Amino acid sequence: MDSGTLVTIVTIIATAMAITIGTIVPALVEGRAVLKALEGMTRQPEMADSLRATLFISMAILESTAIYVLLICLILLFVNPLFDRFF
Amino acid sequence: MKGLFPQVVCTIFGIPVRDTVISTWFMIFVIIGTTYLIGRRQPVVLEMLVDFVLDQVSGVMGRPAAPYLSVLGTLAIFIAVANVIGAVPIIVSPTHDINTPAALALIVFFSVHYFGIRDKGPVGYLKELATPIFTLPLELIGQLSRTLSLTLRLFGNVLSMEMIVAVIFSLLPLIVPVPLIAFSMFTGVLQAYIFTVLAAVYIGAAVAAFEPISSKERS
Repeated sequence: MDSGTLVTIVTIIATAMAITIGTIVPALVEGRAVLKALEGMTRQPEMADSLRATLFISMAILESTAIYVLLICLILLFVNPLFDRFF
Repeated sequence: MKGLFPQVVCTIFGIPVRDTVISTWFMIFVIIGTTYLIGRRQPVVLEMLVDFVLDQVSGVMGRPAAPYLSVLGTLAIFIAVANVIGAVPIIVSPTHDINTPAALALIVFFSVHYFGIRDKGPVGYLKELATPIFTLPLELIGQLSRTLSLTLRLFGNVLSMEMIVAVIFSLLPLIVPVPLIAFSMFTGVLQAYIFTVLAAVYIGAAVAAFEPISSKERS
């Protein structure tokens, strides 16, 4: 097995692991955020509007960690800098 | 997968022009034309749009946001149309080239400092930026990283939705991608909302603190 094949295999495995962990953790955290916001909304319905606005912003910020992972995975798959070194 | 990334279609004076640039210009003319038509037929729609953006931004900033509406409303309309127009065949979404989100985030970056300096003066703005002096490096890193995160959030969301649609389209080309395209349009509008709200938060943090019952409002 030459080094190019090895780099490809390692890249694919690393990408799969990264996207797995990188989507599970933000999903759990976002679920917690929605849960707390819904609890707050049911307890105080008059606060629902401001809670919803804050929820959207915080969800976007939490979501961006998953987006970073996705971009790292895309860089690894399509424009991998290691390929130039080994091929 | 080749159509997912922006392609160079022609060169003008040795400068390569990507297809996203062409679709951006097309989109600008579409926005201007639509606004002109709606403004002649039903001006109430435009007023409702302005009121909606003003309400949302004012609620987030906690102050009347009319001085900043020109920047924030333009950002909102531009990003929303740019994300939605990718659903039209042939036309690519301008935001799936990373240069477009980067340019928008740089606009936000510079307008934050512009509004801050306009409000407090250069010396006062720098003084407030470095109030406890040991947090100055953190503040500078924060300024840069929020620009980076604005860029990557918009770009990643648009690119990921287009990639999902492309993968589903290559598996099942009939009917099945339609709800996903609708979902990607919804995500695009949501991203426009989030981008605008975050820009409003950053600008609101840079300008002076707002007193709800000021002497100006009473008189």
